[in-house]
Amino acid sequence: MYVRDLKTDFYDRIQQQRLLILVSLDVDSLCACKILQSLFQCDQVLHTIIPVTGKQSLERAYLENSEGVKFVLLLNCGATFDIIETLRPDDGVVFFICDNHLPVHLNSIFNQVQVQILGKEDDTENLPEFTDLFRDSDDEEDEEEVRRPVFNRTHHITLQDDSGDDSDSSQPKRKKFDEKSLMKKRDKRLWEQKRRELVFQYEEFSKYGTSVAFVMYELAWKMSKDTNDLLWLAIVGITEQYVNGKVERDRYMEGLQFLQGHVSRLNHWSEDEENTLSVDCLRISFETELRLCLFRHWSLFESLCHSQYTACKFKVWTLKGKKRLHEFLAEMGLPLVQCKQKYSSMEVHLRDSIKEMMTKFIEKYGIHEHDLFLPSFLASYGYKNRFCASDVVRVCATLLESMEKDVTPSDSFFRALDVLNRKCTSVMEVGLEQAKLQQKAIVTQVQSFLDMNQIISAGPFLYALVQEGTPDGKYFSNPLCLVRLARFTLEAYCAMSKNKRVRNLPLVIGASLDSDLGVMLVAGIPPISDSKCINCFGKAFEQAASSTNSRVNQDSFDSHVMELKTEDRSKFFDALISLLH
Amino acid sequence: MFGLKAIELIKEAKRSQEGTLPPYNEEGIRKVLEEMRALFEQNQAEVNEALEGDQDLFVGIQIRHVALEQNKRCILAYLNHRLETIKQLRWELGSVLPQDVKQNLTTPEAQWFSKYSKGLAKYMRSLGNQGGVDLTLDVRPPKTLHIQVRCLEDHGEFETQDGNIILLKKNSQHFLLRSECEHLIRQGILEHIIT
Repeated sequence: MYVRDLKTDFYDRIQQQRLLILVSLDVDSLCACKILQSLFQCDQVLHTIIPVTGKQSLERAYLENSEGVKFVLLLNCGATFDIIETLRPDDGVVFFICDNHLPVHLNSIFNQVQVQILGKEDDTENLPEFTDLFRDSDDEEDEEEVRRPVFNRTHHITLQDDSGDDSDSSQPKRKKFDEKSLMKKRDKRLWEQKRRELVFQYEEFSKYGTSVAFVMYELAWKMSKDTNDLLWLAIVGITEQYVNGKVERDRYMEGLQFLQGHVSRLNHWSEDEENTLSVDCLRISFETELRLCLFRHWSLFESLCHSQYTACKFKVWTLKGKKRLHEFLAEMGLPLVQCKQKYSSMEVHLRDSIKEMMTKFIEKYGIHEHDLFLPSFLASYGYKNRFCASDVVRVCATLLESMEKDVTPSDSFFRALDVLNRKCTSVMEVGLEQAKLQQKAIVTQVQSFLDMNQIISAGPFLYALVQEGTPDGKYFSNPLCLVRLARFTLEAYCAMSKNKRVRNLPLVIGASLDSDLGVMLVAGIPPISDSKCINCFGKAFEQAASSTNSRVNQDSFDSHVMELKTEDRSKFFDALISLLH
Repeated sequence: MFGLKAIELIKEAKRSQEGTLPPYNEEGIRKVLEEMRALFEQNQAEVNEALEGDQDLFVGIQIRHVALEQNKRCILAYLNHRLETIKQLRWELGSVLPQDVKQNLTTPEAQWFSKYSKGLAKYMRSLGNQGGVDLTLDVRPPKTLHIQVRCLEDHGEFETQDGNIILLKKNSQHFLLRSECEHLIRQGILEHIIT
């Protein structure tokens, strides 16, 4: 059930009890978690926070910590599958689900008591009517053998996914001529068929809804507990969604506009000359940001070479592309010496005029202003710390998938949580360095894909595999990084390929996860031309796996990322090709 | 020169970190006492001679006497410093000292510690209506009743005052009553997160 008023139906309800919060490992949920923490600190709501990596770890965490817990909050996890069926909680336990993964499982939407969904109801599309999904069981009491949706005592509804079409044969003979019952049965069959279609339509594509950090910020705002810090977290949340291609630009702009109002409301201080704020306070300003990764903390040249958009436009992995890039810089009048040193040590007048110069010259190089510039926000505190939202996202994501030895995912969760804390500048610096390394690894991998012609067109989709034993291969055993590599690869391939058709092809990418166990990680992303950010691979993977009996593990909350036994690779991909044809 | 060894003791006490207890320097103390005994015996002998009329000896006696006094003050300061540290440990670590700290105590010090503990416990019991008051909690006034803590090692189940059972497992974060988890923080099981 969707919660209508977050404050009365969610926040006021959980005040008295200890709350268990299960958080998935992604940047958006980290931000939401941080916002909630500060709210709970104000109102002294006791809570326990446990990071979870996948469905199995969610189950384990719930089992271990469920004792005496009446309310459970799930951040960015738990919406896409039947949570009640999976966790089998006691009757009194209520799950609040705040998840940007769509579609939300139908049982969760129609469960009135135990599942409460915090989020925007308008995010869901193709939602079937209740009457099309569940039939009243009263008029069918005589047909016991027909399995049907039932209401059990907790009002929890059991969905039926498998078909009950073979039930006719067991029917006693005398009933065969009973016209009334035959009609009833026919009705029922038709209804079931329609229902299956509706459910399929609803679940076919996976996509992302409103950022959870955004939802939590709205809650904070409604309770007048919003501060600049919380606002910054919400900004990071929505930026993460856009930067990682989870939502389309229009949706991002919508959120941005809403937040911009808040930014000007909470940051009007600095304009007034008399009551200026101390430099140590957080200040957020609206800025049209260059979409160059980490350029404030790197050199401009490196950043141009490693950012997805510019690298693909200039094709920096070719000699010609490198030349064009140099030409571009020369035309703008930026000396190479300046470009190759740290951005912070560049001469001030050059630094100030970069944006202006770029807008002047990019058109000649086929770069669109719309793509190179992104309206975003900049946070500054103290003299040294200036971060743009997308850089914070990148650092945070890198720390979440730390490559260091003996660091468990939950260790890195808390490291990443610390980064969002303004006072931990040392962690931030470590994170920045790691993020650069990761970005370099991605670019090197993309280049080797292109050089070795490893991106293969399999008909309905493109397909690339990170070779085992690649030095940077360890980076790509993490889902977030793998998806980023996939997006970079697809864009680079489209830029290099002369064939226009490739823009309409999705990409499936695979990387070894654990060579000892023979497991690989597979991720699928939608084609470049797709502007709606909907992903069909969740269902496709599931069907391909079940039709070939491949050993897969769809443990991740993102359905388009899954683990696959390396031995089953070829038959799985064969099935996937025939399925998508 | 007289008094050098005593100064060494003082320096050692000063060098030790705030709140930690170095091992009892028996060797140093013994040397200082030896020096003092030698000084005293020499003085005794010379005082007897001086009383018989040798006026020149008084200057030497005076100097030795000052040195004696100085050594005495140094030893007392050293012992007092240790005593204060032990007292502080009782407030910080509770009535049971960890093994490594215990090894650094001498027998009389250990005896004093247990007596001090007993005295303090008796006094705390007598406070309040029933059950007494734990004075070692909240040495400084707390800013909030609840605090954010992160679990650093697997500790197992922990029952809170309101009867809830919380599983303290490595890498989980909790928001708990300050009074309940203060001793766990001292033991290093929980980490207080300051935001």
